[in-house]
Amino acid sequence: MENIISVKDLSIQFGGLKAVDQVSFAIQKNEIFGLIGPNGAGKTTVFNILSGFYQADSGEIIFADKNINDLKPHAVNELGIARTFQNIRLFKGLSVIENVIVALQQREKHTWFDSLLETEKFYRTEKLLYEHSIELLKIFELDRFKDHFANSLPYGAQRKLEIVRALATKPSLLMLDEPAAGMNHSEKAELNDLIRFVKDKFHLTILIIEHDMKVVMNICNRIAVLHRGKKIAEGIPAHIKSSPEVIEAYLGKRQT
Amino acid sequence: MNKLTKASLFLLGFIVLGLILNYFLNSYIHAILISFMINAVMALSLNFITGLADQFSLGHAGLMAVGAYTSAIISKELLSDQWYFIPLTVVAAGFASAVLGFLVSLPSFKLKGDYLAIVTLGMAEIVRVLILNWNHVGGPRGYNAIVKFPGFLWSYSFGLLVLTITFVTFFRLKKSWFGRNLWALNEDDIAAEVMGLDLVKAKRSAFIISSFFAGVGGGVYAHHLGYISPGSFSFLISVQILIMAVLGGLGSMSGSILAAFILTILPELLRSLPTGTVDIRMIVYPVILICMMIVRPQGLLGRLELIEYFRMKKWIKS
Repeated sequence: MENIISVKDLSIQFGGLKAVDQVSFAIQKNEIFGLIGPNGAGKTTVFNILSGFYQADSGEIIFADKNINDLKPHAVNELGIARTFQNIRLFKGLSVIENVIVALQQREKHTWFDSLLETEKFYRTEKLLYEHSIELLKIFELDRFKDHFANSLPYGAQRKLEIVRALATKPSLLMLDEPAAGMNHSEKAELNDLIRFVKDKFHLTILIIEHDMKVVMNICNRIAVLHRGKKIAEGIPAHIKSSPEVIEAYLGKRQT
Repeated sequence: MNKLTKASLFLLGFIVLGLILNYFLNSYIHAILISFMINAVMALSLNFITGLADQFSLGHAGLMAVGAYTSAIISKELLSDQWYFIPLTVVAAGFASAVLGFLVSLPSFKLKGDYLAIVTLGMAEIVRVLILNWNHVGGPRGYNAIVKFPGFLWSYSFGLLVLTITFVTFFRLKKSWFGRNLWALNEDDIAAEVMGLDLVKAKRSAFIISSFFAGVGGGVYAHHLGYISPGSFSFLISVQILIMAVLGGLGSMSGSILAAFILTILPELLRSLPTGTVDIRMIVYPVILICMMIVRPQGLLGRLELIEYFRMKKWIKS
């Protein structure tokens, strides 16, 4: 299996704090890769570096044979990495369908001329964008909300919409930052199915940060564990579950 | 009704209106009407970046000044004061301001909110002080005897043309992909960037387009009054434009025109109030504004356009 993204010796420092320290991992095509760790382990920082918000102090990130260390977030997205956020970041004042269209239209070619004169091409593109986003929303059963404001949706639907919006940018790697946060049991089960379904339907590779062990152990092919910025373990879920370092990081040392 | 008949009906209406105004009203009202059009252009231009793109600019008077002086200088120095060249010089004024807008956006594209406001405010002051010390254009005495249109009908038609082009441009941009991009970055710039939107490019384009129309507004202003001085482009003008944009509703293009109309007429209507030792007008005017902002903090129309506003009212009733 070839690697879709490989991270080598990634480090970043904020003042005196080494938030990410010499972390390396590689994700293969079509797998679901989990990134777990206790609070403050540096998981979201890794996400922010990968998606271009932070510049790594050292190390390199190779995505689809390209070094993406110095790219801005929008350029990273153009190469095919999409992400969601831990605290939902929808365009709250826009309608559900507009949220999707904004993501979709970044891939379309627009000209000033067409939109100023409202030529036929303008209407054609608009119609296409509309139909395409309805299609996407239908897959996730969000089309009945299409004209609602994004922030009026129920919590679970907002999480879903964020995933739809990320998918609309046609990524090959989807990064989910704690998608199950704040969900109840049945919603979590539904999310599990959804992630698997999305992965197969759109031929994606998925990198997921999650606190909920049930979700992680259930859907991930492989898992890497971060603790205080360092990677302490990597492997299949069964292996991680029984790893003494991981148990120590989460629960502390056993008193004898 | 198709587009063409609609457009020609509008045109006919405006011509009739212009003729009525021309023959039945005095030059005082004519002057107010033209200043309304200029104010509306300026308010639209500011609303586009402040309302849609969330870029708080306090320097529109500076952009307007550059436009006004450019247009006046070109008319006087190059085109020997011929009034039929005014449209040409006004467009040139727009380009001059757009260039200034581009230069300002270079160092400030990373700034937001109050910080951008300070940069643009500084830009406006620099422009004003430069003109103040430029003897060739009269310095503090002002620039005199700028060519005007020969009659009200001409300036009315030209003002209306400029206003229509400005409105249609901003309205269509708002409704298009570009407007959606601006809304998105206004709502959440981090999320917009992750969606593949180049923030710097989008913000810069918006700023340049807005500057262009601010310059056009300035050009019309110069040829409307025939006299400009650095004092006509002070900080207060920037604030006045901002008040119009906010009162109309940030993000509502037709709201800006409505607010420009109200705020141009209102001070004139209040002239009938008694003036003694205290100019009551200057108290009543802000009180009215404060009351309006308490009753409708989102501005007259909020984000909606006039048509959408009425549609919504109907929808709520039914």
